[in-house]
Amino acid sequence: MRSGYFKETVAEHINLTDSTLQRIWILIGLIFVVALPFYFGLYGISLITLMAISAIGAMGLNILTGWTGQISLGQTAFMVLGAYAYAISVESWGWPPIIGFALAGIVPAFASVLVGVPSLRLKGLYLAITTLASAFIVNQLVLEFDGLTNGASGIFVNRPTIFGYAFDTDAKLFYLVAFIGLLTVLACLNLRRSRIGRAFIAIRDNDNAARVMGIDLRAYKLYAFMASSFIVGISGALYGIFLSFVTIDGFPLLLAIEALAILIVGGMGSIAGAILGAIFLVGLPEITSAIFGMFGETAKQFLSTGAHEIKGLLYGLVIILFLRLQPHGLMGLWQDAKRAWTLWPLRY
Amino acid sequence: MTYLLELLSSGLAIGAVYGLIAMSFAIIYKSTGLLNFSQGEMSMIIAYVAWSISTGTDGNPFIVAIGSIGFAILFALAVERIAIRPMMGEPILSQIMVTIGLSVIFRALVTLLWDGLPHNMELAAGNALVDFGGIQVRVAQIAVVVMLFVAIAGMWTFFRYSRFGLAMRAVASDDGTAQLMGVKTGRVQMAAWAASAVMSGTAGVLFAIAFELSPSLYGLGLKAFPATILGGLDSVIGSAFGGLIIGVAENLVGGYISSSLKEIAGFVIIILILMIRPYGLFGEKRIERL
Repeated sequence: MRSGYFKETVAEHINLTDSTLQRIWILIGLIFVVALPFYFGLYGISLITLMAISAIGAMGLNILTGWTGQISLGQTAFMVLGAYAYAISVESWGWPPIIGFALAGIVPAFASVLVGVPSLRLKGLYLAITTLASAFIVNQLVLEFDGLTNGASGIFVNRPTIFGYAFDTDAKLFYLVAFIGLLTVLACLNLRRSRIGRAFIAIRDNDNAARVMGIDLRAYKLYAFMASSFIVGISGALYGIFLSFVTIDGFPLLLAIEALAILIVGGMGSIAGAILGAIFLVGLPEITSAIFGMFGETAKQFLSTGAHEIKGLLYGLVIILFLRLQPHGLMGLWQDAKRAWTLWPLRY
Repeated sequence: MTYLLELLSSGLAIGAVYGLIAMSFAIIYKSTGLLNFSQGEMSMIIAYVAWSISTGTDGNPFIVAIGSIGFAILFALAVERIAIRPMMGEPILSQIMVTIGLSVIFRALVTLLWDGLPHNMELAAGNALVDFGGIQVRVAQIAVVVMLFVAIAGMWTFFRYSRFGLAMRAVASDDGTAQLMGVKTGRVQMAAWAASAVMSGTAGVLFAIAFELSPSLYGLGLKAFPATILGGLDSVIGSAFGGLIIGVAENLVGGYISSSLKEIAGFVIIILILMIRPYGLFGEKRIERL
């Protein structure tokens, strides 16, 4: 009986794929994603687009919270910055969307340094507080600079045309989001196996030990913050395009909670977990409304009037229940299942 | 001059609200090392319950006070027992996430159980205006300042003289040793939660009387963060004064600089404090720096 997988060299350990079988599965997965829009109607496509955007945002937050162990409630701030960077450069100034996307990453990344420098000097929960504060400050700044941002009325965003190809239908927009999602997965995987990624994990697991090993805590926490905000900013721009409208009302604080909930549900620190969590959490209100729908019209009515509240209630419950009962999230369940499968009939 | 005095007096009143909530943050942080992100939401729920009691009965302030204090204690104990206690010993990240989860749940519950509209809360003479040499102040605003000083005095005596206060200080400085010395840490934690709910509930109710009752009341909790950070996260009394300072500063900014900056003045102050004096004005210097 096989007692486990053994990796003998570092190269084997950091390889992205370790067998032909795995590569075939990845290929099947990609084909599945490409095929998805053909099976869904308009509503389904918008739902899977939203899942993909949330997954990108969650992967961004994962760098900071999952790998480096810093809680951030400023997800919305960086999404707003990214969305506005894209909207202003592309719609107001007429720059090409590809530069808009680059700016949507770069602007939040630099803004994160401003938030990060004071808060990363301290341990623990201070980052949560300052990032929360930054979310409010950013919203106020958007309202304040209304010459640039149109204030509370927001900016209309068209579907982008990149290299002469117009992503004008919902299905095409999904492909764009899925492609950026794929790039994000690759970027995260490669970051994870680099020196920087290992440093992040070291900081999370034991910052004193990490420091003794020669990791500059402040610099690496800032790297984590910047990388995270870069990706989150791009997810914000995509969300703006998805809504076809960028206002601060489009980015409620609930998005920050949602991103944290996605990480907890999926399993902290795992990229696959972030994707699974996004699918689960974006799908959750749909499943709930389907279940409520079985209870007749009044239940349905109740659900549609309080949609935002029900969402908040579900996110809160999911966060607490997962932390209580399954702290390693869906990925933890998957690992347990895998282990049970390999080791069966023995338990350990 | 009158304008300045008006700004100062309303600043003190709102500052007292922040101060009471900031004290609730600090007392939980001090006895359990946990920052309760759902404090503002708890204070909002208690205010809503008080409103329901006052409209359901004839509005006798004593009945409302007793009813809402009783509810606050039971509510806090239930939250502590159901959600927080099982998470003890888990990483701090998970504990904070639980309180964040609670805050979203409470916010949703208020809109679902009551409604999303603002209400006027009228209780006894709380809405009446009092003239202080040309400055109009509401009774509830005076009441909240008085309550803050009552709370400060109460907390000070409690920590200084009572056996339980001593236990709480022992738990704050080293809970392992405190447990070895026979202090029941669970009970200390329960007391901290109950006390914090009563204080922040009082703040919420008085705020609702002086201004209005609406589902955005939870914002008070967010505004009280700067106050606790300014006063020092582990300093209960310092947080109260932090609240007064933040309230006055916010009003002065709103009155003299720009009304939109008023909303974020506190948050800007947080970032400044964390840069200069991260342990706050009255906190202990043991907060670790990098």
